[in-house]
Amino acid sequence: MARELRHLDEPEVPSNTTTYFFKEAVRRIWTSKRSSFVAISMITMSLLILASFMLVAENLQQAVLRFQGTSRVNVYFDPDATPEQIAAVERYLGAHADLRSHHFVTRDQALAKFRSYFANVSEVVAQIENNPFPPSFEIDVTPATTQSRNFEHEMAQLRGFAGIEQVQFDWEWLARLRRLVGIINIAGVIAGGILAVAAAFTIANVIRLTMMLYREEINIMRLVGATERIIRGPFVFEGMLQGLIGGGVAVAILYGAFHAARHALAPAHSLLWGFLFTTFLPWQKVVALILGGTFAGWFGSWLSVRERAEES
Amino acid sequence: MIHFYHVTKKFDRYSTALHDVTFHIEKGEFVFLTGASGAGKSTLLKLILRQIVPTEGQIVVNGRNLAAMKNSQLPFFRREIGMVFQDFKLIERMTVFENLSFILTVLNVAPKEHKRKAYSALRAVNLHHKLNSYPLQLSGGEQQRVAVARALINDPLVLIGDEPTGNLDPELSMEMLKIFSEANLRGSTVLLATHDRELIRNSGRRVITLDHGRVTEEKIAAPERAPRPDSLFGIASS
Repeated sequence: MARELRHLDEPEVPSNTTTYFFKEAVRRIWTSKRSSFVAISMITMSLLILASFMLVAENLQQAVLRFQGTSRVNVYFDPDATPEQIAAVERYLGAHADLRSHHFVTRDQALAKFRSYFANVSEVVAQIENNPFPPSFEIDVTPATTQSRNFEHEMAQLRGFAGIEQVQFDWEWLARLRRLVGIINIAGVIAGGILAVAAAFTIANVIRLTMMLYREEINIMRLVGATERIIRGPFVFEGMLQGLIGGGVAVAILYGAFHAARHALAPAHSLLWGFLFTTFLPWQKVVALILGGTFAGWFGSWLSVRERAEES
Repeated sequence: MIHFYHVTKKFDRYSTALHDVTFHIEKGEFVFLTGASGAGKSTLLKLILRQIVPTEGQIVVNGRNLAAMKNSQLPFFRREIGMVFQDFKLIERMTVFENLSFILTVLNVAPKEHKRKAYSALRAVNLHHKLNSYPLQLSGGEQQRVAVARALINDPLVLIGDEPTGNLDPELSMEMLKIFSEANLRGSTVLLATHDRELIRNSGRRVITLDHGRVTEEKIAAPERAPRPDSLFGIASS
């Protein structure tokens, strides 16, 4: 029997449409291989650039954290500093809680350390007649201490003590490194963001082109009662899939390049490049990158399908 | 079921496809719409499916005033109508099965049911052996029968055919008419646009005739009697 009349506003959410959307999206990507390749390449390139910046920033950040974890202040005395001057400095250090973790290094201990560090050049070291190393205090400080305003003040006070030649702490270098990490992050977001928007527009155009190719088919679908959701769904999935593939390929390329670079630069690993190739992106950032690609794809396809095509 | 009230459709100032058309088709009726090419048959069918909107007048289908229908309601309304298009409107990149399966997806029929329903619909038009063929691999007549199967797969409230026998030989045309009649017996209201007079003749169905966009005649196609001979036993009648 023919069906009975029912309300046209009855909500109807077909349960099997997700599978249909996915199958159609895969088929359309496969059918329009060239244009899909262009869209996926654009997403891959933009995310690869963004991910590269993120990787460099990540490793610099790790270097900063490692450095901060073992921060040490060296207070060097004049070679002819008196024991009273040294005692005065020791009293000052003892009076400040954040500088309490310190120990004195005599001239002989400094020379012995140098010899142990550079054992491979022992012949040269053996030729040293007069000990050139001054006595010093080594003060271990926490990262929180180095970032406090009070710390700078304490360092300035130490420099003012009689008998002190130099107060050495690489916090300025660390601050510069931190600024560099910030700049790299911002540059990455700007460059990657611009390229991601460009990629989204490329996807939008590819989807628009696909929709034009399927115009007749879309008209037929409308005539047989397909809702806009069913008509547009495969196109939205297509864009999302392109973005997802682009994101995945970008991460895979970066991962391969990261390990290849580590392998190629292995001899110089510990010296120059070591801090740049210590760690790959954490999984959260990898997932974020792939999701970012998927979002760019969704955005591109949404731009194309949001305007309801003219009724046939 | 289908009511036209003083419907006029103008495409531009110089081209009027329908002039003040009024007719009523009741639930369960089987009606032929006939007229020469360009009489306005296809325009009238497009108006029923709300592919186009009238310039003047009102159209009520399945109790719904099409002018008052929201765009979001249109797909659900169209699902109640099985339409056989003159140009078939099959999706060329899909197989026969996929063309039918798509409708079932739209109607939220479980995928495991698709094969059975598609096979059953194709069997009704004697094309069950072409399940995996593409439309372009079929003859015009076969494509037309696939279009009929697609229109019937949902047991529609209203079944509309735009020249559904246009590409068929007389034998297949009668077979197609039988399929439409069976759908009518199952409860579908049927409106067939055709200029095939042989098909209409002897059908005993109501016929609406269009001429230059106007309804010129509404009658029942009664079986014709054999003409009386001029003479009986050679004796001329006076």
